[in-house]
Amino acid sequence: MKGWRAKGRFRKSLTNRYLLLISVAMIFMPILFPLASVFYWFVANTFMDVPPLPDKKYENGTVLEKMWHKEATQLEGASPEEIEQRLKSLRQAYPEVQMLWVDSDSRKRIELPVQEDMPALWSAQHTVQFMKNSVGADPFTVVAFIGDEGADEGFMVMRIPRKYISVQDPIASETTLYGLFMATMSGLFILVSWLFFVRIRKRLLRLRNAMTSPNEATGIPQPVTLTKLDEIGQLEEGYNDMVSQLEEGQRRQREEEELRKSLIASLSHDLRTPLTVIRSHIFSLEREPLSGRGKESLSLIEAKIGDLGGLIDNLLSYNLLTSGKVQLNLDAKDVLRLVKESAAAWYPVWEKAGIEPDIALREEPLIWNVDVLWFRRLLDNLFQNVVRHAQSGKYIGIYTEERQVEGGEETGALIISDRGPGFGSESHNKGAGIGLAVVDFLAKEMGLKCEVESSGEGTRITIWKPGSGGVYPGQELNPGGKQVRFEVDDM
Amino acid sequence: MSASILYIEDDRDIGGWVSDFLKEKGYGVKWLQSGEKAVEEAAQCAVVVLDVMLPGLDGFTVGQRLKKAYPGLPILMLSARTSIDDKLQGLEFADDYLTKPFHPDELAARVEVLLRRSAVQSAEPVRVKHLTVYEGENRIVNEDTGEEILLTGKQYQIFMYLLQHQGRVMTKEQIYESVWGESYIEGDKTLMVHIRYLREKLERDPASPEIIETVRGLGYRVKA
Repeated sequence: MKGWRAKGRFRKSLTNRYLLLISVAMIFMPILFPLASVFYWFVANTFMDVPPLPDKKYENGTVLEKMWHKEATQLEGASPEEIEQRLKSLRQAYPEVQMLWVDSDSRKRIELPVQEDMPALWSAQHTVQFMKNSVGADPFTVVAFIGDEGADEGFMVMRIPRKYISVQDPIASETTLYGLFMATMSGLFILVSWLFFVRIRKRLLRLRNAMTSPNEATGIPQPVTLTKLDEIGQLEEGYNDMVSQLEEGQRRQREEEELRKSLIASLSHDLRTPLTVIRSHIFSLEREPLSGRGKESLSLIEAKIGDLGGLIDNLLSYNLLTSGKVQLNLDAKDVLRLVKESAAAWYPVWEKAGIEPDIALREEPLIWNVDVLWFRRLLDNLFQNVVRHAQSGKYIGIYTEERQVEGGEETGALIISDRGPGFGSESHNKGAGIGLAVVDFLAKEMGLKCEVESSGEGTRITIWKPGSGGVYPGQELNPGGKQVRFEVDDM
Repeated sequence: MSASILYIEDDRDIGGWVSDFLKEKGYGVKWLQSGEKAVEEAAQCAVVVLDVMLPGLDGFTVGQRLKKAYPGLPILMLSARTSIDDKLQGLEFADDYLTKPFHPDELAARVEVLLRRSAVQSAEPVRVKHLTVYEGENRIVNEDTGEEILLTGKQYQIFMYLLQHQGRVMTKEQIYESVWGESYIEGDKTLMVHIRYLREKLERDPASPEIIETVRGLGYRVKA
């Protein structure tokens, strides 16, 4: 059991498998040479011991030489006829062998077949020359004295072209085989190592692909199927754990967001209900006979109730937004369209309040990444502020301007201006803060920059999308400006 | 009998007061404290005023059910137009919004607009300045001369769109996309040209239009 587990653990480790691979390769080096011999022997025995070829009798020069000497010895004291007979019968047995008999008088007696280069008389000098020429030369030559060496009965010569005996010379093919075997083994080792790494690489790439292709809906990468329980397998497992944790986290965040939203929505409703009741009763009171002061008080109460409604909305929105539980759904939208639609909805309110709208937005769209619903809230807050705090100016300007941003680029900016008393006045300090804080927060969340310039002659709010270089909060954009200027979040 | 309103509100104080107020104004009012029977009751009503939060079913669900059952029935939702509740994104069913605490007169005015809008869609003639519009018959009569005004298809559609949203400023984009059914391309003068011809036919003096008002920088509106 323990052994099995150890084996399992061994197989589960890439390090161990790699070490095994290297060890096998190292161990194989010394074993390889004897193994190559065994291989050669095996190959030689299986493939070289082919069934005897017709000229197998020539295969071994030594055998041939021995045979020749044996024949010569046996011919001791034989008559010339007997020698001739024997040679002819030998010639029949070995048809490729040239044979020559020189008698004791140095005369060529028999030549099978007749050869041009052989002299009729073999002088001692010629004999020595012939012997010298024949050593290690082609044809393979054997000279044997007939009878004993001292018998003086002459000698006989046999010659055979080496092609008959040297074809099967194993010396050269042995080297080739060794080389081939070594090359094959090295090749095999390289192949196995390569496969080992290719498979690791493939699995790692698969994991990388899973990581870089997130689910479109959730933005969380997809989990992968486990392959093996080795190191990469553990990585895959860890990665899957991470994915499920992310999903769980996202789900929990969504739940919290939902909970918080519904809580705040019902809170908003609960706060508004009594306000509605109060308002309806003010309305009833207004129709009763009242003194001038009484009517004045009622209209003041009524106005404050309206303010309170807006304040509740902004307060709750701000709470919701800053809780970090709300995800803005940013989309590339033409904000000028949204501005126009929002302004169109506000138009009757401005008319009623005696505010003259001056709207001059450029024709080409201004595309920003915004959450439509929250961008409307941003605009509503700005428009509401004008109605509430700058009504005395009787003016609202909504227009676009080209603005220089970092890096010299020009970008469209949205400007909302009024001719109210500005932030310095008492009216603005009351209640504008939370509404503008919501504006500022939303602008930041949508990657927009919002700047407020305020003086006694009016307020001018500029919203633009910072260039690729980015404009950082607190950075002065227009140091030459004359008006009092401060960031919204300072308030 | 005057048009009846289905009013769904769970708060007793507001519900009682508002239904009395609307009755005073001369409407027939059916007040429900929950959304459960809304669909059955809506059959006899000309407009629905719906609160966002109701016990049992929430206002959004009730609204969707009502719109499914009576697609032509106008619904006024008592909710912020840009509410903190993002359910509003799926709030296509509401024809108008009103934020609490609303002014009773504002509510009455909105209800009146919705009723008129639904009247435009019905056979009842609508009077705009010197014109009488019979929408069911596709007929517009100039009461000054007693003659019928003949409009082209697009002119008629533009006028009807503005009339249905009487009192509201409609942007060029909104009008173009509703009438032509395709996205508005900036700089397109088609709508302007159509409005000019439309005015020549409708207005007493096309140079100072009384019926189709230009709202500079935004669009057009037919004043209520």
